[in-house]
Amino acid sequence: MKYLVTDDSKLARLSLIKSLKIHVGDAEIYQATNGAEAVEIVKNNKPDIVFLDLTMPVMDGYEALPLMIEEHPKIKVVVVSADVQEQAKTRVINLGAQFHVQKPINSDKIKEILKIL
Amino acid sequence: MIEINLSEDEKDVLQELMNVAYGNATAIVADMLDAFASLSIPNIKIMNIRELLNTFHSLKGDSYFFSTQAFVGEFSGECAFFIDNESANNLAIHLELDGEEDLNDAILELTNILTSTLTTRLAKEMNTQVQFALPSISKIPLNEMGSNNAFKQYSQVIVIDTQLNFHDQKINGEIFILTKDGSIKWLKNQLNDILKTII
Repeated sequence: MKYLVTDDSKLARLSLIKSLKIHVGDAEIYQATNGAEAVEIVKNNKPDIVFLDLTMPVMDGYEALPLMIEEHPKIKVVVVSADVQEQAKTRVINLGAQFHVQKPINSDKIKEILKIL
Repeated sequence: MIEINLSEDEKDVLQELMNVAYGNATAIVADMLDAFASLSIPNIKIMNIRELLNTFHSLKGDSYFFSTQAFVGEFSGECAFFIDNESANNLAIHLELDGEEDLNDAILELTNILTSTLTTRLAKEMNTQVQFALPSISKIPLNEMGSNNAFKQYSQVIVIDTQLNFHDQKINGEIFILTKDGSIKWLKNQLNDILKTII
């Protein structure tokens, strides 16, 4: 399995990767700092699961999400965002995300999500 | 005067904590207004008080409702919320308010919910708690902001600046969290403790 962690915050990426590694060991984990980088990585490396922030510079998560699915229709996207408005949750699910999870995400939540995916 | 410096990593941590706190506060205000807000990336800057006032002056428009709420604790300072005339009028229309008194009351309530939720969550992310003073509101021209007593107690400030945007209702506001001189050393320690748990 290959994973992609997308967030403009280094702290958020490192924190998520640290928790993710507890469950996936030495699996391949890519990092992107914005939506445009994420789409490019999806195009070239076809990760299986993407953790995606919404509020990012250059290209936000809302714009990147359908582009990633277009590049790799089997991809599974977990939105990890501080935007906990109901409309934000509905919007990303309608765009094709499997989950919308509130930041900060912890190891137990990641375990739960990986089990379902 | 304390010389404040924040490393890139410290700024990144503070920005991310603010992002989480702001997301929570916005959801509560969006629910209250029955509207959807677009979130912006918080901007972290270190300024002296002159630069801060220049930033206020550069806000679009020239007439603003301006409300502040002080908070105290290990993390202490001031949360300032600006909303321009046009947005305030749109808020009045959206909430079907009648008269200036009702509008002032609505802006104060909005400030209270927004700033207290935002600051409480930000403090929680840094493992502390804050207490609040009552918010106060004034409507003054931005070029007279320098005479406002609220800012005279600061020398240099860490400014966390973000926007509140309800596009459909055309309601836009700007929020500043100003950190008091005495809290800056504490804030840096907390940010570095968080960094140590990650890296």
